[in-house]
Amino acid sequence: MDYVTQLQKQLVDYTASLFHEKFLDEQFNQLQQLQDESNPDFVVEVVSLFFEDSERLLNELGKVLEQQIIDYRKVDAHVHQLKGSSSRFSLGTRFFHGSIGAQRVQSVCITFRNYCEEKNIEGCLKCLQQVKHEYSLVKSKLDTLFKLEKQLVAAGGSIPTYVV
Amino acid sequence: MAQAIGSASQRASGFGSGGLPRNGGSAKGSGSSNRPRMTWKNNLNALVVDNERFSQHVEKGILRNFGVETEAVETGEAAVELIASGATFNLIFIDISLPAMDGPRTAMQIRAMGVQSKIIGLSSSLTEEDEEEFLRAGVDKCIEKPLTTAWLVPVLRELDGQI
Repeated sequence: MDYVTQLQKQLVDYTASLFHEKFLDEQFNQLQQLQDESNPDFVVEVVSLFFEDSERLLNELGKVLEQQIIDYRKVDAHVHQLKGSSSRFSLGTRFFHGSIGAQRVQSVCITFRNYCEEKNIEGCLKCLQQVKHEYSLVKSKLDTLFKLEKQLVAAGGSIPTYVV
Repeated sequence: MAQAIGSASQRASGFGSGGLPRNGGSAKGSGSSNRPRMTWKNNLNALVVDNERFSQHVEKGILRNFGVETEAVETGEAAVELIASGATFNLIFIDISLPAMDGPRTAMQIRAMGVQSKIIGLSSSLTEEDEEEFLRAGVDKCIEKPLTTAWLVPVLRELDGQI
């Protein structure tokens, strides 16, 4: 098997695992379809923006929770937004389908909002940690994916399309 | 189970009207995929009002991919200003949560200016209250993000047919 074919196989297998573990889903396919010569970096751009936006949101959440007097409505609003945007890369659905035993972002968000209602600062902080962990997990998976793609292209190969 | 179905060739798309070949980015100039996926009888254009950067990027990407000239702004005020300056759009997307003037208030102002274009309310996590507030404000419909091609195509077809 030549080097390019090897890289290609590595990429396909890795992407398959991300779909299988529900880190990625149909929406990712949609994004790939929008990528073409006039928009060669579309997927990487969208994913980067997603993590930048999410990081900002998580930092804001952290700050609000550090205040002497916590505005729980603000916390709740941020978590509401997190819950919505996290479904974008199936961060939530992968845990609804109960595949991997780790943190569940969407159900964590529900728990998070309950803690807000109860004004339970410790509960909120714990949830925040869980969500941060989940995001960094997905981010590193996608970073690996993009690195593999780059390697393949640099070696002269082209990225195969995936059918799930 | 994912499987590769060949490299850089037309993919058999599970949905939508024929996929575009996905390239690694270094291949340029083959020309074929600079054309939008669909062409319309009329020149359709859209405005996206969304300050969540990545979803704005996706919304613009999808619309442009379908041949809809798209402008995007981050605030309700900017949208109002744009329309006040005479810009017209066939389709307007407004996110519910915007800085300063929120989505519903933006929609109300735009309607108050006499705009009759189709306005769609967007939300990251749509609740019944959100939807009611938005509809009261004058949007035609609310959808939960992300915008999908499956949703968009029939809407564009309908719009194109009505002009």
